[in-house]
Amino acid sequence: MTKKMINLFRESPRVITMAIIVVMMAVGTGCKSKKKAMEAADAEARKAKMEQEAALKKQQQQQQEEELRKREAEERARREAEAKKSEPYSKLEQYFSAIGNASSVSAANSSISEALTLFTSPETPVLIVISESGGQKDYDRPTTIRDYLNYLKDQKKRADKIGNLQLDSSGKITEVELVKQK
Amino acid sequence: MINYKNIYALLFGLLIIGNVAAQKDDVSPERKQAIDSLALEKVRDLSKYISIIGSKKTPFSEAQRVMDRAEELFATDSEMGVSSLNRKEITYYKVRKYFDRLMALNYDRVTISWYDIHYISDLERQPDGRYVGVVTIYQKFEGVSDDGMKYKDTTKKDITIYVERKKTQIQGRTIEFWDVLLGDIRVTETRA
Repeated sequence: MTKKMINLFRESPRVITMAIIVVMMAVGTGCKSKKKAMEAADAEARKAKMEQEAALKKQQQQQQEEELRKREAEERARREAEAKKSEPYSKLEQYFSAIGNASSVSAANSSISEALTLFTSPETPVLIVISESGGQKDYDRPTTIRDYLNYLKDQKKRADKIGNLQLDSSGKITEVELVKQK
Repeated sequence: MINYKNIYALLFGLLIIGNVAAQKDDVSPERKQAIDSLALEKVRDLSKYISIIGSKKTPFSEAQRVMDRAEELFATDSEMGVSSLNRKEITYYKVRKYFDRLMALNYDRVTISWYDIHYISDLERQPDGRYVGVVTIYQKFEGVSDDGMKYKDTTKKDITIYVERKKTQIQGRTIEFWDVLLGDIRVTETRA
């Protein structure tokens, strides 16, 4: 049988050529498939990597957005707290100005009545700092908010600067510290 | 036998205590200036109160309230001198009485203003710890009646100022403050 085959090849070079071609084609086809498979695997890996990167990026972006939202919320809360804290200051300053510049006694009295609603009592103490050095404060004779507001009405003068306000839990002023303007 | 060692030690101790006490009462120039300004401000406040009390436009209740406030500026029993171009003598009234008389003056319009307010004697510390000084003011008075009667004069007045360190309790805390009190107001000159 083998001899028959050898003789067949010897006698027919065309058959040999054909066989070689067939073998080469088979090998070529195998390589191509392998290359294709590798390329497909590469593409798959790239795709997976890109998807992973995209997911990571998205996650980071979400985290950043969340942090930004948190910071904004904190900032808003801080501003609101500050505004709430400074509200009595600005309101009181407005009343001081309205009383000192009132066009009539009745207008001043009306502003005094309104201003007194900011306080726990008309007898709320008012301390007036006349000088401060080395942490030591010198005060004028303490007065009450009612007397101080009437003083502004009588003297028609600019109020002393508000140094500090003490508030109770309901936001009413329990003590005022003013600083005399030089 | 006299123990000189003990006497020297006692004298030395007293000297130290005296020095410490003196240093404690020392007031820096900045603080002293603030006290000087505070006292002048009280005089200006009185000037405004007097013009409100004297003004015929001031409602009675307001005048009473202002009198109370003005009275608080004075030391107890302080007096106010009143002069006139029509008589030589100067009459002194307790400040409340002076305010009452001022409010009841028989004019239809009264204008009182103080100007040139200044120290003629700086605040000086006294042995009792109080600071005492004198401020001079010029007062322009003008009273006019509807029937045409008019009186006006300018008087120079000296105001004694007392400043004392005091303590008070505010909401459970001890607050030390400078209490400025006006004393007698003496007329030193009256002119048309």
